[in-house]
Amino acid sequence: MSNTELTERYLSAIKLWLPRKQQTDILAEIAEDLHAQTEDRESALGRPLTADEMVELLKQRGSPLRVASGYLPDQRLINPAMVPMYRMVLKIVLLWVLLPLFVILYLGPILASRNPGLALLDFWAHAWQSLFFTIGIVTAVFWLIDRYHSMSVDRWDPRKLPRVPRSQQQMQWYNDFAGFAFGMATAIFWGAIMWHRSAFVTPALHVVLLPIWGQIFWLMLVLVTARSLVNLYCFVRPTWSAARSWVRLALDGIDIVVPLVLLRVTNWVEIPAVGKLTVADAAKLVSLLNWGMQITLVSILVFTAVDVFQQGRLLWRAKSIHSAPMLTMS
Amino acid sequence: MHTNTANSELFENLRLELRRGCLSVAVLLQLRTELYGYAIRKALGEQGLAIDENTLYPLLRRLETQGLLVSQWREEEKRNKRFYRLSSAGEQVLASLLAEWRQMNGALERIQTVSGKIAEEQQNEQHRID
Repeated sequence: MSNTELTERYLSAIKLWLPRKQQTDILAEIAEDLHAQTEDRESALGRPLTADEMVELLKQRGSPLRVASGYLPDQRLINPAMVPMYRMVLKIVLLWVLLPLFVILYLGPILASRNPGLALLDFWAHAWQSLFFTIGIVTAVFWLIDRYHSMSVDRWDPRKLPRVPRSQQQMQWYNDFAGFAFGMATAIFWGAIMWHRSAFVTPALHVVLLPIWGQIFWLMLVLVTARSLVNLYCFVRPTWSAARSWVRLALDGIDIVVPLVLLRVTNWVEIPAVGKLTVADAAKLVSLLNWGMQITLVSILVFTAVDVFQQGRLLWRAKSIHSAPMLTMS
Repeated sequence: MHTNTANSELFENLRLELRRGCLSVAVLLQLRTELYGYAIRKALGEQGLAIDENTLYPLLRRLETQGLLVSQWREEEKRNKRFYRLSSAGEQVLASLLAEWRQMNGALERIQTVSGKIAEEQQNEQHRID
């Protein structure tokens, strides 16, 4: 291939990426520079450049796309100053909305399904679809904000900035107390209401509890009470220790295993058709109550998984800094 | 080995940042006399400020769009070349830029001198304590 052909190909490849209105002008200037550079080299060597030397010279100048990119206007999808906000919104939407929603909607059916593989495949396909759709929507919203300047990062007032949140320790302290109070209330409620109970009977409705309730009675009571007492201990002694995280992780482990096993149960109650209640209505009510149980169990799994993550992170941080003299989170 | 590579990358990034502003000033200074693209590259290179064509030509175009340079195509040695020179607006901006550069240069010199003295005093103090 001749040097002229190499040069023409190079210029033609650059032309492809250049703004249409300026193509001729820019290409003429690049061609002239290339010509002058070739002449300089040839006069230094005292002979015409070989094809290999010409290839080397063109390579040194950079790929056609790189050369053309220098002439293109600065283009961006999102204002760089908005990127931290974009990432935060994306993280919130994906981790705190999409993920829990998917777990709640799919975990129950996957575990209860006769063909979990197929249900998992269905979940996987929908998860990816939703992931790309969500990222696309969030990106498009930020692009529109940038495009129409509807939100400027420079329009701000120090007086309108959000209040400084309470310290992490104080927040956690309240959380521990709330955990203790809620746990004790739940344990008392569970113990009082469910003790030796086999049905809830009202004039209009008979809800018969299946034997599974009796089988889990003590387990639930012990678990709720233990978690409540751990929260009380954290409230009284707010300083973090590795042992505390390990205890919480052990409880989390039980809290994960129990709902996973219980999700295999498909029927929790029976409602006989009494009074004005028809068989169809009773079946609907049973289905609704069973679905409610599934949602509750999956929610417990999600909240427990969040605690596992938090405790794991605390342990990992403590390990990475070797000695954690005053880690204040519980 | 890894640290050296990271450091050299870091240095290269900082060097490019430092050069970016200086190149615009250098090109404006060079174009107080009319020159075409390749001649600008050669002139700057001979004075120790090499600039590659992919940086120079887009820069020339940008400076021209901003009204700091004017250009015209003209035939020289039987070839069409685009000649650039500083516009009157470019002369004013160049004067301001040079003043800014001198002020920045002076400030850097002073910071270097003062911080050097403080560092030396702190070292001497440390030696005395040891």
